[in-house]
Amino acid sequence: MNDLKSLIIKEVKELARDPKIWIGVILMPLIMFPIMGSAINISQRSMMRAMLSASFAVYNEDEGPVVDALLSHLYENNTVLTIETQSLEGAIEEFLETNATTMLYIKKGYSMNVSAGRKARLKVYANLKSLTIAETGSTDSITSLLNVYGYYLSLEKIEGLLNAMDDPSDPRAILYPLSLSAASIIKGNVIEVAPSSILNLIMSQSVMLPVMVMVMLMFAIQMAATSIAIEKEQKTLETLMTLPVSRMTILSGKLAGSIVISVAGAISYMIGFSYYVTSAFSFAPEMTSMTTGDIGLGIQPVGILLLGINIFITLVSGLALAISLSVFMDSVRSAQSLTSFLIIPVAIPAIILMFSDISMLPPSIRLILLAIPYTHSILASKAAFLGDYVIVIRSIAYIAVFTVILLYGAARIFSSERIITARFTSMDIRDILRRGRRDE
Amino acid sequence: MEQAIIVNNLVKRFGRVEALRGTSFTVKDREIYGLIGPNGAGKTTTLRILSTLISPSSGSAEIFGSDVTKSPEKIREIISYLPEDAGAYQNLSGFEYLEFMASFYAGSERLADEMVSEGEKISGLEERLEEKIKGYSKGMNRRLLLARALMMRPKLAILDEPTSGLDVLHAHHVRQMIKSYVDTQGVTVLLSSHNMLEVEYLCHRVALIDKGRVIAIGTPVELKERFKSENLEQAFMEATRLE
Repeated sequence: MNDLKSLIIKEVKELARDPKIWIGVILMPLIMFPIMGSAINISQRSMMRAMLSASFAVYNEDEGPVVDALLSHLYENNTVLTIETQSLEGAIEEFLETNATTMLYIKKGYSMNVSAGRKARLKVYANLKSLTIAETGSTDSITSLLNVYGYYLSLEKIEGLLNAMDDPSDPRAILYPLSLSAASIIKGNVIEVAPSSILNLIMSQSVMLPVMVMVMLMFAIQMAATSIAIEKEQKTLETLMTLPVSRMTILSGKLAGSIVISVAGAISYMIGFSYYVTSAFSFAPEMTSMTTGDIGLGIQPVGILLLGINIFITLVSGLALAISLSVFMDSVRSAQSLTSFLIIPVAIPAIILMFSDISMLPPSIRLILLAIPYTHSILASKAAFLGDYVIVIRSIAYIAVFTVILLYGAARIFSSERIITARFTSMDIRDILRRGRRDE
Repeated sequence: MEQAIIVNNLVKRFGRVEALRGTSFTVKDREIYGLIGPNGAGKTTTLRILSTLISPSSGSAEIFGSDVTKSPEKIREIISYLPEDAGAYQNLSGFEYLEFMASFYAGSERLADEMVSEGEKISGLEERLEEKIKGYSKGMNRRLLLARALMMRPKLAILDEPTSGLDVLHAHHVRQMIKSYVDTQGVTVLLSSHNMLEVEYLCHRVALIDKGRVIAIGTPVELKERFKSENLEQAFMEATRLE
């Protein structure tokens, strides 16, 4: 036990003190994500400020009495620039010289048309100076102001007509005769939330989970592959292998040391990422107001336990895979190129399952995905959230069997002289196979 | 006197390459025994087999009565191996490295402390041991590694080219370390070297190896006499010519 402790401490010290790992795995996510989040936040905020402070110009050709009501609606709470010229061309010219991004053109006959119950024509001109979202936003804001005004104008008209006919009906019911609301039923419970909102929430969770599992596995694989390569590059492996410690203890020390660093990496990634999410989208608080707990989909203690087991077994399996293969790499650089190969079976299921459910896929793709053990890690994470524990246990069992086989393979390689004699500097598969046959 | 090492007809093949072709020799307890030969003669392969890193294709090797293939764990407890171009963990300090290594051999904390202070003494690196190994010169690195190999008082120290690539001062220090340690602690040493002067100075007995076979064994004086040579280098050249 003391031997294992010494090996783990050494492993953690070596990895954690390596600037490449310290900066790349621990520090980068903590710095990079908040910076990215702040950058998005700053641009979003400045866009919103631009939208809110956008002033607009009004060019009015109508002289009737009804237009005053529209103008006073527009002047209320808004900075409105009145343009007074003799022609539309002149008005546009003047508008272009101002800071206003939009101009409302009220055509002659507006009052007459409104009074006669005909459609009154208005036109919005947008001056796209820098082609940013903020400019179209100010067009949207004047459009919504006009829509609100249109709504009350209709109500007033309907009310007037109803009064004339002595009809007691509600003018709002005449304008919108149907009122539709939606509720969702989850596991037999009726929840007063629209199904689309719930699905959005589940989607955001099911995107986060595969990302989490994928990131952690990527760190683990990187750590393990590098830790063996460092031993080879620093020429310390031979000495390590002649110590009076079982090869299984050395292997366990490597696994545990890599787990410690990759968990630290995953934690710093998640802290950085959550900071990114909260800071990047803090201008839209409604996005984070609902949680899975609110709609009865909160993860239960059993689910958390199973999720933990799933993540742990997935980590060990990723590490065992990386260690077994990295034995054949003799430098950190070749270990890193190996890592990029190993990421493929981890990344593909994660990316596919991020956007679709396994049951939606064509049978052939589904079979291929299900054969990849890391697909099951992602399926188990999703199922743990939804409370489908049978799926979680089945997935854990599949990964566990795969992990045991991998660990057996890793232990065999560690116990043989292959760990000393195997040297592959390139990732040429034919070369590896040729050398493999020669080693037999 | 008890035999420390008995190597009998050792053969090692790597694919089609035959690195050892029936190597045999014996080393007595508390003896400094040298293996001399050109590059590719099979010296490192022999040392790796005795260190339990690789297995022989045929033949046998015993260290203090334990067979290298049947009981490698037993052997690892009594030997220490210094590979030719070995390194140490770059992000640990020299002191941490010695502590890490001592933890596997010492049964108690007190014994581990004793080993580390012994290592400090052997290395002669003094306060530089507090620094990270990545800042060490090649000579300092080798002194640290040799201190590691000797501080735990192994019954057998297997040293592959202990002074290879070192300048005169560091090489001299390393040779002194080995000689005085064997004299005072009674350790058996098996070493390989290209440096004939070093072998002549250090070794009680020498085996000349060429193309995976031992071609002559004896004390440096005996070998020089047998091959009518002034030094071991000439003796080696004469021995290979007669083969």
